[in-house]
Amino acid sequence: MIPALALKGIRKSFDGVVVLDDAEFSGYAGEVHALLGENGAGKSSLMNVAAGLYAPEAGSIAVNGETVSLSGPSEAQALGIGMVHQHFKLVMRFTVAENILMANPQSHYRSGINQIRAAIEKQSAELGFAIDPDHTVRTLTLAQQQQVEIVKVLIGGAKILILDEPTAVLTDAEAESLLTMTRRLAQSGTAVVLITHKLHEVKRYADAVTIMRRGKTVATLDPSTATAAELTQLTVGETETLPAQTQNTDTRLRLNVGALTCTRADGSTALNKATFFVRAGEIYGIAGVSGNGQAELAEALMGAREPTQGEIWVEDLGDIAHAPMTGARTAAVAVIPADRYTYALAGSLSIADNFAVADIGSGRYGSLGLVDRNTMQRDTAKAIADYDVQGVRSTRQRAALLSGGNAQKLVIAREFSRSPSVVVAHSPSRGLDARACSAVHQRLLSARERGAAVVLISEDLDEVLTLSDRIGVMTRGQIVGEFSRPADRQAIGRAMVDHA
Amino acid sequence: MIPFLTNWFADVPGTAVPYALGALGLIICERSGVLNLTAEGLMLVGALAGVASYLEFGGHSGLSLVIAMISASAVSLLFAGLVVVLRVNQVIAGLSMVFFCQGLTGLLGIITGWQNKRITGLLPMTVWPLSEIPVVGKIFFMQDAVVYLTVVIYIVVNWWLFSTMMGLRIRAVGENPAAADAAGISVSLYRVLAIVIGSSLLGLAGAYISVVSVKLWVSGMTSGRGWIAVALVVFARWAPWPALGGALLFGCIEALIPHIAAAGIRVPQYLVMMTPYLATIAVMIWVGATQSVGTSEPGALGQPHVREERR
Amino acid sequence: MHDVAILKSGASSPKPHRARSRFVLDMRQSLPTWKQALFLGGSLAIGLAISVAILAIAGISPIQLAFELAGVFNATSLRGVLFQAAPMMLVGLAASLAFRLGFWNLGLEGQMLLGGIFAEGVSIYEIGPPQTRLVVMGIAAAIGGSLWCLLGGLLKMRFRVNEIIATLLLNYVAKYFLFHLLYGAWQDPKTAYPQSAPLRPFERLFDLGFGVNGGLLTAIAAVALAGWMVHLSRVGFYMRIISANPSMAKVLGVPIRAITIWIVLISGACAGLAGFVNVASQEGRLTDSYADGYLFSGALIAFLSRNDPLVVAIVGFLVAVLFITGQTLQVFYQIPFTMVQLIEAIIVMSVASSEFFIRHRIRWLRQESA
Repeated sequence: MIPALALKGIRKSFDGVVVLDDAEFSGYAGEVHALLGENGAGKSSLMNVAAGLYAPEAGSIAVNGETVSLSGPSEAQALGIGMVHQHFKLVMRFTVAENILMANPQSHYRSGINQIRAAIEKQSAELGFAIDPDHTVRTLTLAQQQQVEIVKVLIGGAKILILDEPTAVLTDAEAESLLTMTRRLAQSGTAVVLITHKLHEVKRYADAVTIMRRGKTVATLDPSTATAAELTQLTVGETETLPAQTQNTDTRLRLNVGALTCTRADGSTALNKATFFVRAGEIYGIAGVSGNGQAELAEALMGAREPTQGEIWVEDLGDIAHAPMTGARTAAVAVIPADRYTYALAGSLSIADNFAVADIGSGRYGSLGLVDRNTMQRDTAKAIADYDVQGVRSTRQRAALLSGGNAQKLVIAREFSRSPSVVVAHSPSRGLDARACSAVHQRLLSARERGAAVVLISEDLDEVLTLSDRIGVMTRGQIVGEFSRPADRQAIGRAMVDHA
Repeated sequence: MIPFLTNWFADVPGTAVPYALGALGLIICERSGVLNLTAEGLMLVGALAGVASYLEFGGHSGLSLVIAMISASAVSLLFAGLVVVLRVNQVIAGLSMVFFCQGLTGLLGIITGWQNKRITGLLPMTVWPLSEIPVVGKIFFMQDAVVYLTVVIYIVVNWWLFSTMMGLRIRAVGENPAAADAAGISVSLYRVLAIVIGSSLLGLAGAYISVVSVKLWVSGMTSGRGWIAVALVVFARWAPWPALGGALLFGCIEALIPHIAAAGIRVPQYLVMMTPYLATIAVMIWVGATQSVGTSEPGALGQPHVREERR
Repeated sequence: MHDVAILKSGASSPKPHRARSRFVLDMRQSLPTWKQALFLGGSLAIGLAISVAILAIAGISPIQLAFELAGVFNATSLRGVLFQAAPMMLVGLAASLAFRLGFWNLGLEGQMLLGGIFAEGVSIYEIGPPQTRLVVMGIAAAIGGSLWCLLGGLLKMRFRVNEIIATLLLNYVAKYFLFHLLYGAWQDPKTAYPQSAPLRPFERLFDLGFGVNGGLLTAIAAVALAGWMVHLSRVGFYMRIISANPSMAKVLGVPIRAITIWIVLISGACAGLAGFVNVASQEGRLTDSYADGYLFSGALIAFLSRNDPLVVAIVGFLVAVLFITGQTLQVFYQIPFTMVQLIEAIIVMSVASSEFFIRHRIRWLRQESA
């Protein structure tokens, strides 16, 4: 049988950094083919090549046996390749119909919109979606926006449907319904490529799995015959286990968030009287699908966003919700944000500068009139050694040159340098490979050992389940349920959905 | 009182036209995501080209306005090259264009002798018999052709931006170039198109000042109107009809100045001439106080687009 | 599933394969400094070459131009250059300090005007004894420029008015205010021109000969202080953080508001001093044109110096050479002074274009047949 999509010997690099190294993939019509690998393995990049967004330096692409060359996304679309990206390619301000019209141009706007509306209604009925073509995309939930993307791609005539980490933004229940739909699509003849890093999805829904690691294709297997351990071994290389966690006996309250309310710029409510507390020496995990206020909660705790109501009480500091940023606060509350280069690091500045900014206000690195660079370099060098930050030739090099994992270690090194009593970690292992991920987790656990109160906000339910002493489920800006270790995954999933 | 108001309002459309056309041209461009600060410069190009072609090609107003539009579009290609192809910071590119155009037009005006030459220009028309109606007739039916043309242009551009495929693409490129790119729309092409088309209106705005209002060319004659147009776009939240409203408001303010002096009211002359600029600042304050930042501008305004940018 | 109306006209039969090569744009991770300097220097050379070509079209051959440039370095012209260098360095400093922080202070001309106005005010109201009058004038000028810049800054911080528009509009307001004074209360009764009566001798900036004058010394002192602040002090450190990542600065406790206000004041003060220098040294009285052309010159200097105060001194000197050459061309060859503006714009555009090559890598991607 001829593969619907075949990629061979693909090579791609970005400014000298190789992301795809002789990678290959073959997907057939009528099957759900998973592309498995951890963060940074090259799965998205390989499919971006197939979708015409990246131009490969070497290698070939074949659709239904015929070699093709893609100069852009429209050619890929013409060949029947449709990709639903992790970051949706939707114009928020347009309606659903306008977005789909944009991707499937008709000769006239007015008549085109009507045709598209009809096509949307037909296609979404077949898939079991309920999409109103005239709703503005911005008003839809993430799950609904994803449905729009899928409908858009199918209307465009896609016979090869590529889904990039589609369940990252879905609850367990929504994920199940989506993946079941992909099986139905496959049964009717579409070739479905499912990019994922989740083993259980592969085992349950995929007919075949190709495993990638560090830009190379490592193996192609049948998931029904391969064991989970085998798959993990091929994906990750080696596994690391976390040390057993000691029971927490300290009952001092370190952080109390009371009735915290935040509104977004467009007037919608992000946080709606969110309330929770964290004790010393405990990890409080906040589980939930992204878009339910987690980002705003992290920003409020960081001091980047001022809440409209409510309090954030920290031991020894009092209510910091509306207080100005002081040295005491930045020392006591450590922040590991989701977007490293937005809130934590300045890529264009040196590693030493990025490290020193935490303590420079205290006078440690010189007076107002004269900065003491020598002490800065020394402190930075020591921190880099202590926290195993690799890839540093000189503390004067730009922070942007660090890999994701090492950049995160630098952030942690800086944030922990003043022995914080509260640690706020938002998606701390996003975009990191397994080893870096494990290093981050170790640090969070050791902070817990030292008696800090750790707030772990993460969309990765596995991460939350592994690390947390207590778990709060966040939906629509509120904590709707709390669970203690050992937590029941099903119950948590239900809590996420019931209030949605 | 009535004659004072009639005379004042009769002057308003003519004063408002440069602001209206300038703001609309900028809106077209900025809807595609390109922050455009070139207005002051391209209006000067249009103004000079209008007078120059009038002097050189036999005194035909209509022709000179068309040539002014083409000239401004041609010069705007330099801006397009800088910001779309070379992805230069759009603020720096815009400012440089203003000074480039100021320098170029100042230079050409002197070398060629086009400076300070009076022309007859375009005269107002009379829509008989409606122009005979007292008060209203003078205000609405005794304007020059470009005033009426401006309204037509607004209608056409509004339809083009919001009810055609091309307009959809331009807006998509401005809101989310990555999405537009993935949909197969050439971000670069549509941005250049928006710049060139928008700039033709800027040229027309400038030519109106020189060929119709003042009827000669002097270096720097736009006197900051381009910057006021930039402010108007923000005030109008990048939507055409509010921009027209804003232009009329500014037309009222600017047209009032000579009438106050003519009415015999003693005011410090130069302090009064500050009013349009102070009014613009006041308007911007009002906008800043009432709007939440960033909710009405095109999503990708000011950011250059590179497809293979890896995060 | 596949009997859904597929709306795309043009069926999806695969095209015959052709090897297609194309340009691909990559963002660079980093570029060694020497290569950056190469691109910068190259683009500068191209900009200058274009300018020379334009001058040639306007009637000045490159040989004449070279002759004139060389002539600049004789004693009289050099004196003129040094006089001109002072306000250039000061506006360059004003622009670069503000731009460094991301505050687009385009009100340089208005701030210069206010500086001159405040200085003239000290003269007219005879504030301070003759021995210290000049110093009082200088301080007043700095205050005048600061206040005018602060106005723009407050509009931004308090009312979220874009500072590009605010500071630019304030230029026009300042200009009309100046006219109001010069055609009114402050006009020299002996003339009909918009200018004030001449300043008293002790109100003029001294000239030590060889072109070394009070203005130049003021400018050099300002450059030195600014250089120290930017490179050695904690303020400079904070400025770097704020300009590299303002969100991060906020979250890490950097005093953004205080630093911004400080820089706004200093930037305005430098521009005000530039106005004072022009009024008190060469002009000798308050006129209506002593700020003309300095906005873009300041922006140009800041841009070419990459906002570094110490480099501003050198580039300021070079732009002064450009100015004086422009004046010479105007006097002897009837080339209008707007030519200088044109050349400045061309240089900024060429240098700005080099950023593209520094930040991106262009590759020619050859796509093989299978």
